[in-house]
Amino acid sequence: MLYFTLASKAYARNLQYRGAHMVHNIASAMFGYMYACIWIGLGKDHVLGDYGTQGMVSYIAFTQSSLWISGFITNGLGIPQAVRTGLISLDLLRPVHLFTHLMAREWGQIAYQFLYKSLPIYLLYVVVFRLQFSGSWLTLIYVGVGLFGAAYLAICMNYLIGVSAMWTTESSWLHWGNHAMINLLAGFFIPLEWLPDWLERFAWLTPYPYLLYVPTRIFLGFGDVSLLWGTLFWCALMTSGCLLATQWLRRKVEVQGG
Amino acid sequence: MNAKSWFSLYRLLIRTSIRSRMQYKFNFVLASVLAALIQISEFLMVAIVLYKFGAIQGWSLYEIGYLFAVITLSKTLYRTFADEVHHLEKYLVGGELDQLLTRPLPVLLTLMPQSFRIMLGEVLQGGFLLCWSLGAMMSRGQVNWVSVPLTLLAICTGAVIMFSIGLATATIGFWTTRITELQNITEDAARTAAQYPLSLYPKWLSSLLLIVIPVGLVNYVPALYILRGELGPWVPGVVAVAAGLCLYGSLRFWQFGITKYQSTGS
Repeated sequence: MLYFTLASKAYARNLQYRGAHMVHNIASAMFGYMYACIWIGLGKDHVLGDYGTQGMVSYIAFTQSSLWISGFITNGLGIPQAVRTGLISLDLLRPVHLFTHLMAREWGQIAYQFLYKSLPIYLLYVVVFRLQFSGSWLTLIYVGVGLFGAAYLAICMNYLIGVSAMWTTESSWLHWGNHAMINLLAGFFIPLEWLPDWLERFAWLTPYPYLLYVPTRIFLGFGDVSLLWGTLFWCALMTSGCLLATQWLRRKVEVQGG
Repeated sequence: MNAKSWFSLYRLLIRTSIRSRMQYKFNFVLASVLAALIQISEFLMVAIVLYKFGAIQGWSLYEIGYLFAVITLSKTLYRTFADEVHHLEKYLVGGELDQLLTRPLPVLLTLMPQSFRIMLGEVLQGGFLLCWSLGAMMSRGQVNWVSVPLTLLAICTGAVIMFSIGLATATIGFWTTRITELQNITEDAARTAAQYPLSLYPKWLSSLLLIVIPVGLVNYVPALYILRGELGPWVPGVVAVAAGLCLYGSLRFWQFGITKYQSTGS
């Protein structure tokens, strides 16, 4: 119940800024439109693999919309800010685990972003690019599972980035580095099978493909559903990482503000 | 206070900013390495498309590397000297601009050296990419040594244009307070678009990127002349004039905007 309250409060807080977020949606939609234009331009001179031009536009539309679920979540789950203000010491005193506490809050944020960012942006692309979905309800369920796992992985990754603020004042660079890796290794702009062989193999050794590429492939009807086992594996591994990191940070807490 | 005194004071403030930043050497190294990594991954996205499909509408890997390098170095130059213009929102939201208004200097001149950024990662990556792409095109006889000073000029005029766009966007904050979302469109999205030849985009979008948010003048238009000999030798001069006009317009807009500033902090 506590976790649900934390999530619903985060959701309600975001509702206050719907107007401002709509401007952000325009910026985000512009990015996706631009990337789609690049593929449309390339599609005039080249055959775009199994996808075709329209398929690549659908690919970009889905990854751009999904970024608000597994890419653009709170920087470090707000831990760097808490370290700077000294609030982290209070958070560590609470009778609830830091990881689950921050995770519950972030789920509220993600739920909001799904409803007010991902869906409107995708619907806009459906109208602008005349996109069609030919999958079944079962496909949608698998996509939902893939996105849920992706969101959880994103929470874990951001938690680990946030925790690094205990030891460096430059954790925001890790946040941007993580975004750069999402762009490159999660298949945000280029499907992984088009990466050079060595980079594709490297990408599959990381959790990044499970953030965007796997759900997108399933959504487009190309994906192997068994890839979701990979999502599960990384979720388990990252959870262990987050719990260990929390244990480690509790040993010595130095705050910068207060 | 005359221009010479302003300049020496500006240098002093920059030196102070650098010294304060170098107190945390590990953080500086970490930030530089990660910035370089981000830059490389951004270019890899472009390079992989070229690796897979060859030329993009007749633009080779070297030419697109050049487009990428020029816009990266222009942005680096702008953000090195005027990073705080990009971060004006925090001054508006927290009311910190009040402190700057009380100083006996123009606000912009006080704001700019608040955080002098040494963007080593971007300089190394952009510089390497530029040398590599220009070197390859020189060895193939596509360009000659004249392209070097012309490129340096393009980087400088590009920095002025990007500063102007950044300043005009920041000025809107005097009315709206929050500007991050707008910066996403005018600075981030526009710059990302200009990493590719503008001919890839629909007419309305390429016109927008040449006239309304003129990032196309930073790298695409100069590259048409420097690399491909298109348009004519008037290009660098016209781009320099356009950069001057952009700067003049944005400074006037800033001067007008600052009269509308209302403190928001406590």
